[in-house]
Amino acid sequence: MKSLFTIKSGGAASWAMRLAVAAVLAALMLWVPTRGSDSLIEVCTTAFTLMAAALSLNLLLGYAGQISLGHSAFFGIGTYTTAVMVTRWGWSPFHTLPVAFVLAFVVGVLVSLPALRIKGVYLALVTLALGMVFPQFIKWKKLSWLTGGAKGINDTGFKFTKDNPTYEIFGWNPWGNLRGQNVKPFYFWVGAIIVLVVYLICRGVVKSRVGRSLVAIRDNSTAAAVMGVNLPVTKGIVFGLSAAMCALPGSLSAIRTGTVTADTQLLTVAGSITFLVIMVVGGAGSLWGPIIGAAVYQFIIERTGGWTEPDAIPALFRPFFGWSKTAPGGGLFAIALILLMFVAPLGLVGLWRQHSVRLCRVVPKPAGTTTISVMAAAPAAVDETHTA
Amino acid sequence: MELFLQRTVDGLSEGSVYALLALGLVIIYRGTGHLNFAHGEMALFCAYAVYQFGEWGIPIGIAVVMGMGVGFLVGATAEVALVRPVARKSAFAVFIVTIGLFQFLNWLDGAIWGGQQLPNTGVGSKQVSYPSLFPAADDDFVTIFGAEITIKSLGTIGLVLVLSAVLFFVFNRTKLGLAMRAVASNADSAKLVGIRTNTVLMFSWGIAAAIGALGGVVTAGNAQSVSQSLMFSVFIYASAAATLGGFDSPLGAVVGGLAIGVIQNLTAGYVEWVGQEMKVGVSFLVIVAVLLVKPSGLFGTAKVERV
Repeated sequence: MKSLFTIKSGGAASWAMRLAVAAVLAALMLWVPTRGSDSLIEVCTTAFTLMAAALSLNLLLGYAGQISLGHSAFFGIGTYTTAVMVTRWGWSPFHTLPVAFVLAFVVGVLVSLPALRIKGVYLALVTLALGMVFPQFIKWKKLSWLTGGAKGINDTGFKFTKDNPTYEIFGWNPWGNLRGQNVKPFYFWVGAIIVLVVYLICRGVVKSRVGRSLVAIRDNSTAAAVMGVNLPVTKGIVFGLSAAMCALPGSLSAIRTGTVTADTQLLTVAGSITFLVIMVVGGAGSLWGPIIGAAVYQFIIERTGGWTEPDAIPALFRPFFGWSKTAPGGGLFAIALILLMFVAPLGLVGLWRQHSVRLCRVVPKPAGTTTISVMAAAPAAVDETHTA
Repeated sequence: MELFLQRTVDGLSEGSVYALLALGLVIIYRGTGHLNFAHGEMALFCAYAVYQFGEWGIPIGIAVVMGMGVGFLVGATAEVALVRPVARKSAFAVFIVTIGLFQFLNWLDGAIWGGQQLPNTGVGSKQVSYPSLFPAADDDFVTIFGAEITIKSLGTIGLVLVLSAVLFFVFNRTKLGLAMRAVASNADSAKLVGIRTNTVLMFSWGIAAAIGALGGVVTAGNAQSVSQSLMFSVFIYASAAATLGGFDSPLGAVVGGLAIGVIQNLTAGYVEWVGQEMKVGVSFLVIVAVLLVKPSGLFGTAKVERV
């Protein structure tokens, strides 16, 4: 395929491109909370929640190939851990995040135990059942002393009072007014930090030895085991980590909305399917896939959310969706999911990688040139053993 | 004793519905080796269609046959247009397509009929309640050993038994059944001896979805209404039934379905701390336990894996 430009990876042009992307992202991140409208900030925060959840699912499904339809349960563990600890034991909301992380990690490792024997679509079935059980478990009357049963829990959010410091920087206030007047930018930043943390964990895992063994398990688990990958330990770790990361946005949603019920969409199986849709549409098995997927998903859902009456639909789309009694978002993404399996199984990121080559080709460095320091260190180690 | 008998018969009646859906899952699994996650939603779409036929004044006896026809079309189309081309790529792609179909059908139900429960006089339904296949008035019951057993329960159980007999006949005594068994045992060899495997697979999916449609109509009839979330839990129960019976055994699906129904009803009735809310938990435990201890289920054939 001919491309317009050809640049070398690590060269000046490649760095300029990276810098440009980073600058645009940074500008957006500053513009939205300081200059954007309240509803835009809300939408972005919800998108961050979905991003973090889809990223965590991507680590398990996209990289390790373990199908999970039960991530709504892990999300819900985060939500309810925060809600219970804040209201029953008076913890500060943000101190509950590590607890939720650890608790979901433990549950994830427990779920991985049957996953050692159950494979593929059967694992999907088991996790789907887990996702179905979770809301029922929360509503279980034996647990209502803790979870509040079907009524849920109120006042789980962060308490903003007049005594809060404002944290102004020379009179400029990017996180909103924390004295309870305008706190939306604050949650925007919390969401952004959670996405960043989850992204960095995913990136760290994927680019490491563990990440390579995950891909090996996905592609051929028997061959991976023969090559020395410890299947039980690796699967246990990735299950636990994925569950733990999914609990973080769950906690955030409890803090942000202030009320928690077991019937919230993201806590039921519909939530699991939403995460899956985002991950697949964005691109399974790529770090940026879920991030782009969540942004696209939330944008379209938000734009088409009010399309329930024919008059509310822009004239261009009215012939297509005028007959529908509900918003078309869910159907659009279902169709997109099916179509992508035909044309681009690796999602939007896969499509971009396939077609961006026509515009600009990035030539990777020749193999072996990046590990100079390791190569330099190796002979010294050999010498040492010789002399010893 | 009366209570025990009553709960058992109620369980059998509920289990009959699970058996109907599990039968469809098993027929599809035998044919193409896929677990159809959209099975419950296909059945739900047909249940909505039967409601619509009822609105047009078609009696339930004819409407249910038409609904099964709709189911056949949906199932066959899904196999030919979506599953078959994608199956050449990977099993994961088929999984994603069935999930996509699940979401699409659920959305389509809402888009056509709205999100509320139907029938609903608020949106101008002519029917008072969802049409039931069997007489379901308050005094339609028989007393056996002191237990009051509704005609509806007996009818549902009878329906499943009759349908199983018909399917047994079709599988074992007809050309189509022979072809289906041949494709299930070895698709390539079946093709070599001149069986049109593509047609057989299309029929498998169609028949499965048609049986599922019947299950959907019975479920909606029991609930007396149809709504978008009607089949979520029923699908889990049906999968538990298929897992328990063995994913490649139609007999196992029927036995598994009835067993799941009875187990659930008895535990929900007698074990006080399980209660009605955690019924789905019982199914979850059954699925996990069976897959861990005996993945082939009660009647399935154990799969030998080659590396």
